[in-house]
Amino acid sequence: MTWRPVFGTDPTVAAVRREAFLRGARAAGPALVATSIWGLVTGVAMIKTGLTTAQALAMTLFVYAGSAQMAALPLIAADAPVWVVLLTATVVNLRFVIFSATLWTYFGRLSLARRLMLGYLTADIGLALFMSRYGNAPDDRRGNTEQVWYLLGTCGATWLSWQPMSIIGILLAGLIPGQWGLEFAAILALLAITVPMFQGRPAVAGCLTAGVVAVLAAALPLKLGLLVAVIAGVSVAMAADVLLERNTEGRAP
Amino acid sequence: MMSGGDIWLTIAGLTLVTIVTRNAFLVLGHKVALPERVQHALRYAPACALAALIVPEVVLISGTPVLDFSNPKLVASVIAVATLLLTRRAVAAIALGMLAFTLIRLL
Repeated sequence: MTWRPVFGTDPTVAAVRREAFLRGARAAGPALVATSIWGLVTGVAMIKTGLTTAQALAMTLFVYAGSAQMAALPLIAADAPVWVVLLTATVVNLRFVIFSATLWTYFGRLSLARRLMLGYLTADIGLALFMSRYGNAPDDRRGNTEQVWYLLGTCGATWLSWQPMSIIGILLAGLIPGQWGLEFAAILALLAITVPMFQGRPAVAGCLTAGVVAVLAAALPLKLGLLVAVIAGVSVAMAADVLLERNTEGRAP
Repeated sequence: MMSGGDIWLTIAGLTLVTIVTRNAFLVLGHKVALPERVQHALRYAPACALAALIVPEVVLISGTPVLDFSNPKLVASVIAVATLLLTRRAVAAIALGMLAFTLIRLL
C-alpha cells in the first residue's frame, strides 16, 4: 500500500514519512484504550448533560479538547454565563500554551497552514510521546520530516481513537437509563486528569486551596466562586514556589 | 440548563479557545517571551481550575457539604484517587469509582 495522497509521490520521501507515521501510531498504541474509553464517556456525558445530538457532534469535532469539554458540561447544566464557561475552559487549556511554545522550537519553520494543523491535532498524549522520543534533539536537528510525521502518527492515532468512540457515545447515550448516573463518570474522568498534575508541593497546595475555596464560595452567583478559587489556588502555588526556592537557596553551600 | 442559543454560542467560543491556546506560540513564535514566573503560573492554573471544578461537584449535595460515607460521590472519588495513586491507570480508576458510586446508591 503506497497511500500516495497521504505520503506524497516521491518514493524515498514517502517511505521516510510512512515509516515515521507508523512508528508514532504504534507508540500511541497502549494509550489508545484509555483515549477511546475516554472519548466514549465524553460522548455519553455530553448527551446526559442535555446537549442535542447536533450540539454534541459539533462539540466533539470542533472543540476536540476532552478536559475543557468535561469542564464545560457542569457549567452548561448550571446555566452559568457563557463567558464564565469560556474563561474556565481557557484556564483548563492553558497547558496547551506551554505545549505550543515547545512545538515552536521544532516546527516554527513550517508553513502557517501546517502549524495550525499540528496545533489542532496535538493533545496531551501525542505531545508526551513525541517529547519522550525527541525531547533531547539538538537545535539543528529539530523539525525534520521524520519528527513531523512521528508527531502526526501519535496525534493522528489519538484523534482516530477518540472521535469515532465519542460519536458512538453520543449516538448510544439515549439507550442508557438516566438513573445510572453516567454524568458522574465525567467527574471521575476529570479527576483522573487532575491527580497526575499533583507534581511538587506548590501544585498540591494550590489544588487543595482551590478545592476548599470553591466549596466555600459555591453560593456566589454566576458560578464566580470557581474563578475566585482558581485565583486563590494559583496564588498559593506561586507563593509556595517562592518560599521553597528561598529555602533551597538558604541551604545551598 | 442553558438555552439552545447559549449552548451553540458556548460551542463556538470553545472552538476558538482550543484554536487560540493550542496555536498561541506555534503561530506567534518567540516574538513574545514568557518570563519563568508566568510559565510557572500557566503550569499551576489548569490543575487548580480542575480541582475547583471537581471538589464542589463531589462534596456538595443540594448546596450543602456532606463529608461522610453517606455521600456516594465522595466515597467513589476517594476510591478513584486511591486507584490512580496505586496503579496509575485512569480507566481502572473511573471503572472502580463508578462501581462504588452505583453500589452505594443501590444499597
